[in-house]
Amino acid sequence: MDVEVDDKDLKAAGAEVLTDDRHGLRIHGWEIVSCNGSILNSSSLITWEEKLKTSHLPEMVFGESCLVLKHATSGTKIHFNAFDALTGWKQEALPPVEVPAAAQWKFRSKPFQQVILDYDYTFTTPYCGSETMEFDTEKKNSEEFLEASCSPCWEDCEEQIDVVALASKEPILFYDEVVLYEDELADNGVSLLTVKVRVMPSCWFLLLRFWLRVDGVLMRLRDTRMHCAFSDSANPIVLRESCWREATFEALAAKGYPTDSASYSDPSIISQRLPIIMHKTQKLKVHCNL
Amino acid sequence: MSDLDRQIEQLKRCEPLKESEVKALCLKAMEILVEESNVQRVDAPVTICGDIHGQFYDMKELFKVGGDCPKTNYMFLGDFVDRGFYSVETFLLLLALKVHIIISWSSRYSVEICMLLLLWSIHVQGNFATFDAGARIVHHLTDQGDFQPDFKLITLYQQVRYPDRITLIRGNHESRQITQVYGFYDECLRKYGSVSVWRYCTDIFDYLSLSALIENKVFSVHGGLSPAISTLDQIRTIDRKQEVPHDGAMCDLLWSDPEDIVDGWGLSPRGAGFLFGDSVVSSFNHSNNIDYICRAHQLVMEGYKWMFKNQIVTVWSAPNYCYRCGNVAAILELDENLNKQFRVFDAAPQESRGAPAKKPAPDYFL
Repeated sequence: MDVEVDDKDLKAAGAEVLTDDRHGLRIHGWEIVSCNGSILNSSSLITWEEKLKTSHLPEMVFGESCLVLKHATSGTKIHFNAFDALTGWKQEALPPVEVPAAAQWKFRSKPFQQVILDYDYTFTTPYCGSETMEFDTEKKNSEEFLEASCSPCWEDCEEQIDVVALASKEPILFYDEVVLYEDELADNGVSLLTVKVRVMPSCWFLLLRFWLRVDGVLMRLRDTRMHCAFSDSANPIVLRESCWREATFEALAAKGYPTDSASYSDPSIISQRLPIIMHKTQKLKVHCNL
Repeated sequence: MSDLDRQIEQLKRCEPLKESEVKALCLKAMEILVEESNVQRVDAPVTICGDIHGQFYDMKELFKVGGDCPKTNYMFLGDFVDRGFYSVETFLLLLALKVHIIISWSSRYSVEICMLLLLWSIHVQGNFATFDAGARIVHHLTDQGDFQPDFKLITLYQQVRYPDRITLIRGNHESRQITQVYGFYDECLRKYGSVSVWRYCTDIFDYLSLSALIENKVFSVHGGLSPAISTLDQIRTIDRKQEVPHDGAMCDLLWSDPEDIVDGWGLSPRGAGFLFGDSVVSSFNHSNNIDYICRAHQLVMEGYKWMFKNQIVTVWSAPNYCYRCGNVAAILELDENLNKQFRVFDAAPQESRGAPAKKPAPDYFL
């Protein structure tokens, strides 16, 4: 997903496009890199299944795809990948959701020796990103100690992401969308985890979105937004806002909304129809046990 | 050049037909498809293809790898439409190729076909001497010089028995309900401004056969097996000319999946949809005297995948699925002795896809 970016805009913002084979840029001490790879092949899939202790993974796991945002001076690294997200899915382990046809199937004659599979086939995850401390290799010796003893964490805060500032049409210096995993629920809807990022002269902003639609049953939208306004301080201020929405088709019908799946193909258009079930804003802090 | 020839040329350039042409094509196709069995007999050599999903330019790659139709005898295991950008052109091209072969055979060889049918009826009842004698009568009537019962005639005779050079099997996406959610309906509406073409096509879907049997040895189906079916004759008795039902044997054939972790039958955590294990496939293959099952329906990164000690194979023919998965695709070539060769291929290069991919505009998402 390359986008033409004006060289003059980059220069004015003090940004520098990465010249190695990675896709990304450096700006105000941040290095922001995205990577879009293929889905896992059969042998990697087996390895992942073993590591995650499961026999079911999404049909499309983009195991090599990632988005990484690294702040050099503070050593903060925020990153997004399918493995950590699926670890979250495994831990949350929601009960399976029955599709509408299940009601009819209960009356079918049961074959001899039937096993009912029981796992969350929607791959719903509470994942809202991964964070670690990582310093450049040349500094490693002096800061190895910090890396080992410090860990970033998120603390609840009152501040909100400045949506008004984000609505201003600053030039976009870097943009990408990375799909982490996707499943078609055997043509019963969609389960999709993606992360989008845009970098402007004054800040970066990203949206990690888990989108689930089980046709005729329910929709689930779990959004995580992160924002960082650039400053020259050694520790950047990163805000994270999580917003979970959920609605059943039944509840939507009761409110007079359409209930055909085709009306719900783009979550950004219909998100307002889904009531919020969880919302919080947090700030990134680094804790050290010195 | 006939209308149909011209239409095929047009479709090969990925240009959709006029609405009136689609209607006429679908009517002709319906006449042919209504005669087909739920378990179509197919002769080897044949090349088996899995899901296409409207990826027209990748299907052209498939024909490059597998050879042109009708020179190569093809069988497609369904899921022609949805998800890709060119479901209309993809499905209509396959349908036009099928109609074209039948029409050109019946006009070019109408006399021979009548004679050969006669001859065949003699042959099945008698020995080769009567066949030879019958052939001599054909020669006399068709007035083509000295007669020898040569390869061409034998081939022709084969063609009369099984004139298909392209077999189309129904997939779970060949349904009104599914196409309204996953793209084909919207594509028809966008390209024609009305839903008529979607109606003509979905009416045809109801006539597509449910499965095929290659040389009595390879059973081919889109999804898989059903607990309601243990013999091929049970499939033959299904009344298939309807929308894909939500349950029952016809639904299972188009929807079910093989699954490693169950041995017998498994029920999906969705509460609908069967999974079948090793022992189910073993007993089906044994009681129907077939070598293996060939199916599609599930994405496989490597293009094909054997399961249960080579008793079932999944073939997937949509490379770089949804234009982002990076997977390869495969087709399975069976020669006249049913020797197998998988041919693996990549997605069509960007420059051969007509209009170059537009770089997405930066999105001021919030």
